[in-house]
Amino acid sequence: MIAPAAIMIFLFFLMPVGLTAIFAMTSMSTATGISGGVWQVTQGAVNRLEGDMPALAEGIAQPRFVVDEEGLAALEALKLKPGYVIELRAEHVGEVFPSRREAERVIKALKDRPSTREVKQISDLFNRSVLNTRFESREALVRSLEKLGFKLTPEERDKVATATYTGWVWTTDNFRMIGNSPDMAQIFLNTAFYVAVTLLLFNVSYALFLAVTTHYMPPTTASVFRAIWLLPRITPVVIYVLMWKWLTWDNGFLSLLMGQFGVPPKNYLLDNSYNAWFFVILINGFIGASMGMLVFSSAIKAIPETQFHASEVDGASRWQQIRYIILPQLRWPILFVTCYQTLSLLASFQEIHLSTRGGPGKATEVWSLAAFHTALNNYTGNLEYGLGAAMALVLVVVGLVLSLIYLRVFRYDTLISKPLIED
Amino acid sequence: MTVLPILKSATLAAVLLASTAVFASARDVTISVWSGGSGPNDNYRTDAFDIAADILEREAAIRGEELNIIIQKTPYNGWEDFKQALTLAAEAKKAPNIVATGHEDIGPWAQSGLIVPVEDFIDLDSWPISDIYPNLMEIGSFNGAVYGIPQDAESRPMFFWKPYMKAIGYTDADIDALPVKVEKGEYTLKNVLEDAKKMQDKGLVQAGYGFYPRTNNGPDYWQFYTSFGGVMEEEGKLVFDKAAMKRTYQYFADLVKAGVTKKNHIGMPGDQWWKEVATGKAGIWHGGTWHYARLVNQEGLKDFFGNVQFTLIPAGEGGKANTLTHPLVYLLTSGHTEEETQIAADLIKIASEPRINALHAIKSAHLGISPSETKVDLYAGDRWAFEATERLLPHANAMPNNADFGKYWTIMWKNFEASWTGAKTADAAVNDAENELKSTLGYAIIIR
Repeated sequence: MIAPAAIMIFLFFLMPVGLTAIFAMTSMSTATGISGGVWQVTQGAVNRLEGDMPALAEGIAQPRFVVDEEGLAALEALKLKPGYVIELRAEHVGEVFPSRREAERVIKALKDRPSTREVKQISDLFNRSVLNTRFESREALVRSLEKLGFKLTPEERDKVATATYTGWVWTTDNFRMIGNSPDMAQIFLNTAFYVAVTLLLFNVSYALFLAVTTHYMPPTTASVFRAIWLLPRITPVVIYVLMWKWLTWDNGFLSLLMGQFGVPPKNYLLDNSYNAWFFVILINGFIGASMGMLVFSSAIKAIPETQFHASEVDGASRWQQIRYIILPQLRWPILFVTCYQTLSLLASFQEIHLSTRGGPGKATEVWSLAAFHTALNNYTGNLEYGLGAAMALVLVVVGLVLSLIYLRVFRYDTLISKPLIED
Repeated sequence: MTVLPILKSATLAAVLLASTAVFASARDVTISVWSGGSGPNDNYRTDAFDIAADILEREAAIRGEELNIIIQKTPYNGWEDFKQALTLAAEAKKAPNIVATGHEDIGPWAQSGLIVPVEDFIDLDSWPISDIYPNLMEIGSFNGAVYGIPQDAESRPMFFWKPYMKAIGYTDADIDALPVKVEKGEYTLKNVLEDAKKMQDKGLVQAGYGFYPRTNNGPDYWQFYTSFGGVMEEEGKLVFDKAAMKRTYQYFADLVKAGVTKKNHIGMPGDQWWKEVATGKAGIWHGGTWHYARLVNQEGLKDFFGNVQFTLIPAGEGGKANTLTHPLVYLLTSGHTEEETQIAADLIKIASEPRINALHAIKSAHLGISPSETKVDLYAGDRWAFEATERLLPHANAMPNNADFGKYWTIMWKNFEASWTGAKTADAAVNDAENELKSTLGYAIIIR
């Protein structure tokens, strides 16, 4: 029965991670496209070639259109209206044009009036330069350069191909960039701060607090309290965050309230980075606490009630019960919640995206949000798939490493070893 | 079941089949149009194609062809989601036929083959394309080919709330003379800061409302770089002028330090900003010509000219007064049949005719794309279009069409925001930007 599990692991874990890793090793972006590129001598490519091959760069920098016999023969082969060839041969043979536009003005004025599409077809045949032509293969570009009289050595061909290629290439630059950029370091620190504080204060401690306090309540009251703490989790996240925004906006509840005391209204959410972090952690913490609360509550329920009765007979206080009965038996659930919530906090960014969008400035930009902004969503539309994937891959590695550390810290091996008493 | 009902239903089926065959012989073509950054006043960016399709269908009918064009319109309010959707759709070969977007997208999208040159389908010497302002056509070009037909033009002025200007000592005559003083460089960004401060000190506006800039990233911020003497591109190479960029970053840090602009201004809710500038909560701000439409139509600022003066973006140290035009362009995407793309191109051509384009220009308070458009009654009779065209457009720059410009912009803005919010000093921000530009763009950018 290993096959279904293996298929699931392959489809939903290994394949995404594998694809991310492949993307991460490329320079893929909006400008390079995903499906590969062409070879095009643009002004930019000419600039790149100027240093190494000045003669070639100068020779290919200008467009040139010539009405010659070779072009006319090719035009005849196209079998468009015969009048085009006759008129061009009679009136324009030998003419040289320094731009496509000027050549096309002549073609357009032919008596048989070629259509715009035909004008393009015809002018292509008289193009005697490589500038701005998109070549589907490297060989086609090299052939055209040779036709123009540029004999290139294999190394020179490589240089030209590199300078003119418009698609993505394999590279490790993404990782170098992540390693060297001070902004990336800042985002990394932001993430560590965000995950650590939310996890410690809310997802574990506060959840534990809720579970323990509700444990000592009458069952009905306890259910009401737990249900209330589930609300942030079950409210759709867009609405949940919108409610926080209403609370904190310039004309929101907090401003109205503080206005009563003469405090001028302000945007509490984005006022400064401390405020932003405060609210980002609350927004996420309130959602995260409910999950820990449920897991811990049921784990406490699983503790044999006799242990509590016995401890009470021995005169144990509430605190002693918690310290010596509840906490030791919650090691498993605490490990699970810590591990699970670390990973989910590392990967989750929707609450931050909806509330502060990583602001003010880039104060609350965390790693996953930055990866999303880099790869998929930014104002300039410059989507850097390669760099974004590299950032996501870093996150996968960090997650794996942290999980291994947790297993060691919580002594996972003793948790799964057989109890000695049953031997 | 008898024979008769069977016969009946068979006949009915035959008739139905025959009727669909008749419809099928007519040409049904679906043309999809997407536009970015299009609010409620910008509906003619896509609606123009309903009119164009009607005309093209009639022209086809006169030639004896039955052409039925179905226009599918998808306007997007913002830019981020629009660019994401368009890029991913195009990579998945599901791009719309026509897209209206900022001209700066031409560079990367042309390089990756997402769009095809519009000049392959439209004769640029034919009317109305031949009539479009040549500098706008230039903005639609990349690598020697015209990829985009300008959809609108605009420029981005500095706005002054007149009552407060008077309250800090300007006479009506001073205010009337302000545009000329700005143009000559006699009123500079330094004066903007000083006047904003005066307004606050007099209690006319709250702290942080003296100078009230755009609330998110935008082409606007390149204007300040130009004001401080910066250049974006020279001969196909991007240019990062360190000194000019530092002065720009420093200026915004100074505004925050003087208390006239909020430190956390970027990222504030956009709706709130609109309401505030329309109701005189802000003293001086900057925006675009199209703001006129929203201020007057949606935000209830009835007496615009009585309350607001507008000028070029004043000069700073080392630069000159300027404004930026950020034309949207109609682009043709790749991956469609030649026939469909030709129809899409014909539609763009019709939609660019003066009378149709003027609908967009006036409704959204953008500027026209051709001289003859300014002679259309609707346009000629509009005070805003007339004054804004005359005062601003001759001084307008545009961002370069360069495949690497997006990267430059992202890095420039990231550090702009960091120095604005005080996360970095202006010096550190410029140095960080320089390092990152060097490592990501290398030879493609001149750093000076």
